Amino acid sequence: MIRPFLQVVQLYKKFGDITALNNVSLAIYPGEILVILGENGSGKSTLAKILYGLYFPDKGYIKINGTPVIFSSPAEAKSKGIFLVSQRPQLIDDMSILENIALFLSTSPSRGLRKKLSEILNYLGMAIDVDKSVHALSYTEKQLVDLVKVLLAQPKLLIVDEAVTYLPRELKHKFLNIVKGFATRGGSVMYITHKVVEAAEIGDRFAVLRRGSVVGVFEKGVDVSTLRQAMFGSEEYLTAITKSPVQRPLHKTPALSVENLVVFDEYGKPAVNDVSLSVRLGDVVAILGIAGNGQKELGEAIVGLRKVAKGKVLLNGDEITHMPASERVRRGLIYVPEDPFREGVAIGLTVAENMKLFSQSRVSKEILETAIRKLEVSPSNPLISVAKLSGGNIQKVSLSRLLLNTPRVVIAYSPTRMLDEKSRVLILRTLQKLAESGSAVLLLSEDIEEAVYISTRIGVIVNGKIVKFFEGPELESYREDIEKVMVHA
Amino acid sequence: MPKVAIVKRELSKTVATVAKVLVILLGLLIAIALTSIITGASMELAGITLLQGFLNLNVFVYISTLLPIAVGLSIAFSASAWNLGAEGQLVIGAVGATFIALYTPFGRQEVVAPLMALLFASFLGALWALPAALLKMARGINEALTTLLMNFIAYHMTNYLVKGPWRGRAVYGYPTTDMIPVQARIPTVPGYSFSWYVVVICVVIALLMQLFLYRTKVGIALRALGSSPRFVELAGISSKRLFLIAFLLSGALAGFAGGVKVLVYHGKLVEGPIVGSGYGFTAIMLSWLGGLNPLLLIPASYYTAALYILSFGLQIGSAAVGDALANAIVGSLLAFILLADFLTKYRLVIRWS
Repeated sequence: MIRPFLQVVQLYKKFGDITALNNVSLAIYPGEILVILGENGSGKSTLAKILYGLYFPDKGYIKINGTPVIFSSPAEAKSKGIFLVSQRPQLIDDMSILENIALFLSTSPSRGLRKKLSEILNYLGMAIDVDKSVHALSYTEKQLVDLVKVLLAQPKLLIVDEAVTYLPRELKHKFLNIVKGFATRGGSVMYITHKVVEAAEIGDRFAVLRRGSVVGVFEKGVDVSTLRQAMFGSEEYLTAITKSPVQRPLHKTPALSVENLVVFDEYGKPAVNDVSLSVRLGDVVAILGIAGNGQKELGEAIVGLRKVAKGKVLLNGDEITHMPASERVRRGLIYVPEDPFREGVAIGLTVAENMKLFSQSRVSKEILETAIRKLEVSPSNPLISVAKLSGGNIQKVSLSRLLLNTPRVVIAYSPTRMLDEKSRVLILRTLQKLAESGSAVLLLSEDIEEAVYISTRIGVIVNGKIVKFFEGPELESYREDIEKVMVHA
Repeated sequence: MPKVAIVKRELSKTVATVAKVLVILLGLLIAIALTSIITGASMELAGITLLQGFLNLNVFVYISTLLPIAVGLSIAFSASAWNLGAEGQLVIGAVGATFIALYTPFGRQEVVAPLMALLFASFLGALWALPAALLKMARGINEALTTLLMNFIAYHMTNYLVKGPWRGRAVYGYPTTDMIPVQARIPTVPGYSFSWYVVVICVVIALLMQLFLYRTKVGIALRALGSSPRFVELAGISSKRLFLIAFLLSGALAGFAGGVKVLVYHGKLVEGPIVGSGYGFTAIMLSWLGGLNPLLLIPASYYTAALYILSFGLQIGSAAVGDALANAIVGSLLAFILLADFLTKYRLVIRWS
């Protein structure tokens, strides 16, 4: 009988009145990948943070190789070989990638480290300059750097908290290979996700969390529907997204149009290079691309968070190229930003206060409660500080701006990132419905799946240029072509 | 070697409040004990001096200046508008009130005079804050530095006025203006130099600003501005306008306090450092003491005011410790509040290994 590397014994954790973990006991063996499955807010991240010494459990303890330990800081967890890659990249924005990694490993940014780092980045196929400042990276790139950082530390237990879920598929496979290789060499992996299919693919064992309790532990080979059943308690919601019948756009003139747009990144290089596109009312257009190809800059330039160097942005025919973002929002342009934590919500305010700010008209208590109920924000108390919510629920609060307004134009950046399947379907439906009721929707995404489901036109962006538009009722049939263009163009 | 770690803790609001009050009371007890040990006075005597600090009506003298400034600063600081120039804005407010009272026809009209003077004082206070805000918005110049430096300009401008063109004819060469007309003064409580009217206005201001910050859209957005200007922009609210509002409001409230000092306390304009007497700086600390919450600032300003009086009481009263010791005691009482705040948010884990 192999001894577990780590055991979690009867953990309890409460935040104020919310029970995040309720009597959780688990074991992780050397060489295995243990998947922790659960919907948004089920306590997955709390568990990870306790193991990494970020939170202190109210009751219960952790055993490593049989000896009980208490971590009161990540430094202590790290000294035992436990490393966490969290949902939200833990990097210092003002430092370069190399400096960040050196700082994390407590070494100097030496030539040797630079070489190792470039090697691993090369293997992953990401040609990022390691002297680049972190603040210039896209969210996905930051996540990748965060992962590489931890891999270089050669952990004994690697906790991956939703950190690869949103990587482009090819990259994800490469990363998972590293993780698997790592596990076969005797390291343990705790893989936290809400994506059932992905979980089934990678895991050796599966522990399902629901509302802070372990509701089931399954061995490899368990079927996906059993996992779903355990995760949500039912399977009824799982009606796939039905493609809405393509309607003729109501208006000929576009609600949003972008003409020959050029936008520079933080280093004065063109991040968006001569992009033109237009979205009519009732239309859903998606711009797809691997992270770091200019979607972020394009979205920010359209909404006014970033300066436009050349070209024009028109909203309902009026030029808005140099207007402050707030003015554009008041004119009916609603933007769902990439990073929910920093731009999507005000973390110090309550859920109700955030929603009040989103709404361009007065919100009654009923409207507010309806939005919370529809999005299934949990806990559902509107007076709770957003900082106490889990990542997925914070994204839901950020997305509530779609329900609280009747926007002319919606620009959404990876809106379903961080959401579990159920919430994902809800948000994609919401975008569909907005288009049906006459809004123009521009989806900026790295996820082909969601793009082919809801859009009528897909543009693929590579190196700041839209290299090809795909159009037509059967976008799904182009899926492989689209993928090819994204990766190889 | 013992290992010490600081760990976050989550307490419910009631528990945290009770804990804070207990720690503050404990601090007071320690202060009494310290005083009696050092001076040899009995515990009772030390206790009475301390109690007198809290029961003395003169607390309202300090509250009526400190509270409005701190309320204004809380608004500015919640929006990350680092206005360190309340002192100068107060002094310029005092100049404004004096100007209305002495040099305009309003000065001799009852009721109108003090109201006009306070309004103009607030206006000048806001105006004094404006350049720093504009420099920040147009050129990104750090507002903490500009506002801090503006304090000294305000001091010296006021000195120039009272030593030069505004020096009174009946002041025997002292650097002050003449007394302002009786009609312009705000009636004080007999035997004290504060006015109930002003105290009530100050409390009302605190309540209104609490509603503003927590109930109105602009106020809520102000509180979000500090953490993310981009978030605020995406909610359709101009971050520049919010910054300006926060700055001007804090300037106006400091100016108002300056008006109060002239109309209630001094009765004339005196040299800049005397009008200001550091209230603009004390209010910075006070606003953090109250957790940038206008409602909590009411008890916090009372506490701070009581400590002012206590410090005097300890020096001249029956306990008669020196001023250094008095300030040390007052300082440790303030430190206790910070400690209480820390202990309700974090706990220390010490292990021997």
